Amino acid sequence: MSSDFWIILTACLVAALNALLGSFLVLRRMAMIGDAISHAVLPGIVIAYFLSQSRATLPMLVGAAATGLLVTALIEFLNRKVKLQSDASIGISFTFLFAVGVIMISYFGTNIDLDQECVLYGEIAYVPMYNIAVGGMDLGPRQVWIVGSVLLFSIVSVIWGYNRLAVTTFDPEFAASVGINVVFWQFFLMGGVSLSTVVSFESVGAVLVIALLVGPAATAYLITNRLTPMIVMAIIAGVMASVIGYYLAKYLNASIAGAISVVIGIQFAITIVIVSIRRRYNRLKYEPSQNAPV
Amino acid sequence: MIKEIKEPVIEVHNLTVVYDRKPAIWNIDFTLPKGQIIGVMGPNGSGKSTLLKAIMGVVNANTGWVKVAGEDIEGVRKRVSYVPQRQSVDWDFPATVWDVVAMGRFALKGVFKKLNADDRSVIEESLKKVNMYTFANRQISQLSGGQQQRAFLARALAQEADIYLMDEPFAGVDASTEEAIVQLLKQMKKEGKTLLVVHHDLHTAQNYFEWLVLLNTRLVASGPLTEVFDTALLEDTYGGTLTTLTKVAELLDKNDMPMRHK
Repeated sequence: MSSDFWIILTACLVAALNALLGSFLVLRRMAMIGDAISHAVLPGIVIAYFLSQSRATLPMLVGAAATGLLVTALIEFLNRKVKLQSDASIGISFTFLFAVGVIMISYFGTNIDLDQECVLYGEIAYVPMYNIAVGGMDLGPRQVWIVGSVLLFSIVSVIWGYNRLAVTTFDPEFAASVGINVVFWQFFLMGGVSLSTVVSFESVGAVLVIALLVGPAATAYLITNRLTPMIVMAIIAGVMASVIGYYLAKYLNASIAGAISVVIGIQFAITIVIVSIRRRYNRLKYEPSQNAPV
Repeated sequence: MIKEIKEPVIEVHNLTVVYDRKPAIWNIDFTLPKGQIIGVMGPNGSGKSTLLKAIMGVVNANTGWVKVAGEDIEGVRKRVSYVPQRQSVDWDFPATVWDVVAMGRFALKGVFKKLNADDRSVIEESLKKVNMYTFANRQISQLSGGQQQRAFLARALAQEADIYLMDEPFAGVDASTEEAIVQLLKQMKKEGKTLLVVHHDLHTAQNYFEWLVLLNTRLVASGPLTEVFDTALLEDTYGGTLTTLTKVAELLDKNDMPMRHK
């Protein structure tokens, strides 16, 4: 199969995964925690790489999930116990961990096949270069399988915990009052974000993953009024942006991840315009009957 | 004036909750009777919300314990319903009124359980009791303050509990909603429910409650309304601010103006 197909498929899977989890982050007003996690997983990845001496997937996932949860706990600790403002807690925690990761890479640089450029921006165009084969049969790029299985796992987890995720997002105090462990579901979600971030890493890098986490979810939030449609719409928006972004990048001969992020931004802007036009139109339509009894 | 009763529905013993080194409630000790509408009153920052949260175990007590229906709260959660302050949630959340009320049913179920026909009829009934059935499919951001409060009450009704703890259900609602809520509370009392209601309007308190808990970080009084609604105790609770309140009330009475004109 052509490399176009594999790159687009990878982009779509990454976008869907981030849109799914990003929807909850946006509703919890924790979008920046997603940003923090995406940067803070770096030292975890380097340590996992160093210990396992390979770029095998499993150690990396474990390392990333561990540091992702660590930064979440650190932010919670600074915010709740030290009483530091939440934005300051986020800012100090993730830059510290990210910087530790950067130092690790440059220190072990000669021995480590991790590229800072790739960490920051990702390189989805290289995806078809690392195929996996079983018994001589080409099964397609490694990335597709990794992202695909994490996506499948996330979808199953979200469906399993859907009601708990919804109620702890909307009204955590009520959730606690009925005996739901709010902290568990917080870390459940953050664990998922850590996993999705690390598998998105190679494709889109630490900086642009936040566009995929927040953008499609924010667009969907504007045009839907229930949780399930919002998540579905976010996934659709992310997939759409990936396809359009790929061809835009090809046309401009530019970075694919960058183009996808730009399309996400444009998508969001267009949605704002449509929503405000629709609102104005509705207001005009209902104006005469505004005083009618409800 | 702290009146103790036998076989209380809620028993609070030596309860202290400290936020950031400053006590929110200090050494609270009382017992509450079953099947009554009980008001919790006190000035702003007197620990009313904290008391409710501590009873539910939503905030941890630094000292003391709480027993609900003679048991630790963990054992009786399904019999107790907590209605947080309306302003504590984001009403722009993508959900309909139905979705919010359904949370009251999901609360009783395990993870990954669907609503059955029984659950749906309970949700429907709950919505009808607060006159919100016609708004079931409305998005919650489209609701007025009074409608939001009704949606919260419907969620509580859907839990089918015996004991209800409500944080400021009358805050920022219009007169007709207030009246509707009062009628609902009275109906619930008739069905044998116990209602613990945080309230801050002294003028209406006399008409709403049978038992009153007066709080100002410390417990000032707990007892039947007739014994607790007393100038000295209220002044103790509200400090100097009460005199201004009384003056305003007298003035309004003289001019024969409706007290709660909104």
